[in-house]
Amino acid sequence: MRDRSFTPGRILIYLVVTLFAAGYLAPLVVVVLNSLRTNEEIAQGSMIGWPQHLAWGNYALAWSGFCVAETCSGIRPYMLNSALITIPATLVSTLLGAVAGYAVSLWRFRGDNWIYGIVTLGLFLPQQMRLLPWTIVLRDIGLINTLTGLVLIHTIQGLSFTVLFCRNYYIAIPHELIRAARIDGAGFFRIFWRIILPLSSPILIVTVIWQFTHIWNEFLFGVTFTTGQQQPVTAALIALSAAVADIPQHGVQSAAVIIAALPTLLIYLFGGRYFVRGLTAGAVK
Amino acid sequence: MPITTTRRRLLAGSAAALAFPAFARAQGAVKPRLTAISQWSAGSDGAAITALGKKFEEKGGIWQHSPVPGFTTEMMNKLRAQIIAGDPPACSQLKGPEIAAWSKIAPTVDLDAVVAAAGYEKVVAPDLAKLHKPAGKWIALPLQIYSTNMLFLSKRGMDKAKADKVPVTWADFNALAEKMKSAGMAYPIANGGTRPDDGQKFEASFAGISPTAYRAAIMNLDKKALQGPEIKAAFAQTRKIADWCDPNVGAQPYATNLKRFVDGDMGMLIMGGWAQGVLKNAGFKFDDYVITPGPSDNSKPVFLLNADAFIFWQRKEADLQAGQMLMAQLVMDPAIQTMYSQITGSIPVRTDVDLSGEGWSDGQRRTAAALKDAVASNQAVLSVAHNMAQENGLTAAMIDVITEYVKNKTIKPEEAVTRLAEAVESSR
Amino acid sequence: MTNAASTVTQPGRSATSEAVRRLPEYLMIWVPLLLSAAHLISFSIWTIWISFTPSTLIPVSGWVGLRNYTAVLASRNWQIAFDNLLLFGIAFVLLSLITGLLLAILLDQRIRGENVLRTIFLYPLAVSFVVTGTVWSWLLNPGIGIEKLAHDLGWTAFHFDWLVNRDMAIWTIVIAAIWQSSGFAMALFLAGLRSVDADIIKAAQIDGAGPIRTYWRVILPTLWPITITVVVIQLQFAISAFDLVRALTNGGPGIATQLPALVVYDLMFQRSQLGRGAAAAVLMLLILLAVLLPYAAWRYVQRRQANHA
Repeated sequence: MRDRSFTPGRILIYLVVTLFAAGYLAPLVVVVLNSLRTNEEIAQGSMIGWPQHLAWGNYALAWSGFCVAETCSGIRPYMLNSALITIPATLVSTLLGAVAGYAVSLWRFRGDNWIYGIVTLGLFLPQQMRLLPWTIVLRDIGLINTLTGLVLIHTIQGLSFTVLFCRNYYIAIPHELIRAARIDGAGFFRIFWRIILPLSSPILIVTVIWQFTHIWNEFLFGVTFTTGQQQPVTAALIALSAAVADIPQHGVQSAAVIIAALPTLLIYLFGGRYFVRGLTAGAVK
Repeated sequence: MPITTTRRRLLAGSAAALAFPAFARAQGAVKPRLTAISQWSAGSDGAAITALGKKFEEKGGIWQHSPVPGFTTEMMNKLRAQIIAGDPPACSQLKGPEIAAWSKIAPTVDLDAVVAAAGYEKVVAPDLAKLHKPAGKWIALPLQIYSTNMLFLSKRGMDKAKADKVPVTWADFNALAEKMKSAGMAYPIANGGTRPDDGQKFEASFAGISPTAYRAAIMNLDKKALQGPEIKAAFAQTRKIADWCDPNVGAQPYATNLKRFVDGDMGMLIMGGWAQGVLKNAGFKFDDYVITPGPSDNSKPVFLLNADAFIFWQRKEADLQAGQMLMAQLVMDPAIQTMYSQITGSIPVRTDVDLSGEGWSDGQRRTAAALKDAVASNQAVLSVAHNMAQENGLTAAMIDVITEYVKNKTIKPEEAVTRLAEAVESSR
Repeated sequence: MTNAASTVTQPGRSATSEAVRRLPEYLMIWVPLLLSAAHLISFSIWTIWISFTPSTLIPVSGWVGLRNYTAVLASRNWQIAFDNLLLFGIAFVLLSLITGLLLAILLDQRIRGENVLRTIFLYPLAVSFVVTGTVWSWLLNPGIGIEKLAHDLGWTAFHFDWLVNRDMAIWTIVIAAIWQSSGFAMALFLAGLRSVDADIIKAAQIDGAGPIRTYWRVILPTLWPITITVVVIQLQFAISAFDLVRALTNGGPGIATQLPALVVYDLMFQRSQLGRGAAAAVLMLLILLAVLLPYAAWRYVQRRQANHA
């Protein structure tokens, strides 16, 4: 039940929380405001300011107008590319992570701790170390400059996270549940579909949110392993930055940033509560 | 080639020397196609390469340009990945000593025949030509030339300081900066704080003080010149310039200062010719500023060369080879170079292009004249800030020293000289 | 599978057909795990190998002993980067831990608008590092950001020029990084706070403990395992922080905010000195191991104790 008293303690709490919230919101507010100011307006004033008129044209330019060399179709095609990369990689790595996490936590087998350790150590391998080896691997299997190649990379790399999250979650499931099902004649997969999966929605949501965000926002691999028309949205955003495009176009750039961040922002907007809920079981070790 | 060449070097050498197969045959038979990689995704560079692509298509070719948004590093990453994958683009942007370095890792196309047919070598500055024929054969073609040490003077800034003389030597420059400061300009110089910008401050100082010493120290890595009085004076001059710049600029590019520059709140800018394109794109007019060659203590223009080029990688496909042919001819064509330079604010590589016509700015004419004079008096040197003088590794090590010196006022010129010499030594 | 239950085979089936029947599950478990482990091990070994070769533009074979390592360790870039990593790592992990815990405690107070607030603190996780670095570079730049706003509003004595200050610039990275990732710490801590047994809290309250003492003595100690998790994840973020730093300061002013991840990228790809870049990467891994090994050993000891208890 909400405490409705107004003791000094409560007031202090509200004050502190509001201050923090203002600080956390500030960058978003600045970008949204800038997306509605014209480039000239921003260049003549400061980066923080109120729009004089609402420059919706920025959004039109950002969505379908600005040019990356010859292609003047704005951010739209790159959003599609990012979606084609992110959605499959997220789904596959989540599913495989769930299965592997389930196997490692509930079906103990020889060496399971070792392989789990190695897979999660992968979280710490810096991405610069992976660029050239992936180039060689993709070359050898013929997937350079394909979206499939990128999906493969993100799936395999994503396993480090997904296995970590899922395994920590499944470890809380009582073994008796599994044993009873086995005695009833259920095999590995039937138990997974019938018992594990229905219990997994919190952690699956966490994993999907995490993976989607990381893959959607990734730049290095996205730019190196694709050609012009296949590039993800992160590459297109760079083309708008001041250092690259000679002159600052902060208005259009802000609009493009908002559009590009919409998918992940919406996911956190609607999935935020599940994120916390899903971490409840997985966090307590 | 010496008889003791290893097999690999022999193979690389002969592969690089593989000439264009009978290009007459290729030309009529198949539709030319070109795959190209560059970092030119936006701004005037993006506009220029797009225009070049249109010309390519007008001549009947298929233009497949893959811009890599970001900086040269991202472009090189992409190029490296393609080369490792065994699928290099038909041509890619590359410049300076990197051309020689990269030509060792993948076979390139021998352009001697097509260069000779166009008579190109006669109209290219010799120092520049050398960079594009590392093993004696043309494998890359320069596309446009910039000087990195042009001096931009704001008209309104000059009025404010009641100055009407264009500075010629560093002494003139320093005097003018002081005058501007006493006229109320807090920060007379509009330069930015990026790494290349800091490098430009240094190289403009050094080459302006003594192009001979610059050539010896920075281009030839001569030990004595690296410890000599000229380089120390160069660092001292760099410190002066840095003190006249706005410290708040941080690591931002100069473009953030353009408005203040045009309005007269800042008076001078030491920048390459590309700034003309940037100024134009930002809506400013040629009348707002004056361009003159950078300060030179012996009163003859010093030209710090920066030239972009395309390197051609060997491909077996007939349509790509035809595309490379077409591209090579376009790049050497004076009309194309005119178009390209007018978009980006550079000057054409060809010394025989007449800049007196429409579409050229005074600044460009002055730059071209400066190049001619500088070549004649042997004062055309290669820019280190823009990776023309040395390979990327050594350049970056030198810029480390320079940018740290610019940002840290407590470092004395002597110390900077020592550090620079050490950086060169450890890279040998 | 060595689980006791797994030796229960169905009546009437031979061992081979059992194995065949089990094939899909073996594949679906083992193939991804093996691929993941294999790529991690092979990439690490490859990098270690390259660090001993004279590779520059592309990988080549050869042996140069420890030359790449000595060159990297002797460079100012690396020395500054290493110092910065210590400073940044410790400051960031500690501060984001404290911030996350504080936010979680605040949100745990059953205040109004909890859902909205939680979203506000979580949404920075949705933003890409490049965008975070870019936007904060606008805000923190004294000439165009917060300081200029303050000056325009009349408060001319206000100074906030850390971004262009060699000594303080690293703290701007800390600020941006905390903004980006403390929401995750908050979520973990909030989950932990919410799952504390209500009985324990009630018992403490019956004993007369006020809210602060309840937190300090009763609730916070149960968060110990979560704290470890948060530390590990934030540490990973700190060590691999790359896009954020590049967009925010690019290692500047000058080379004052160099960090190992930047040095590795710079050496490998910008300077085309693959061998040296690989050596720097291996050094980075060694730093990581120095932190992770004690943690792994501690967990191992913990598990042994739990097994023997």
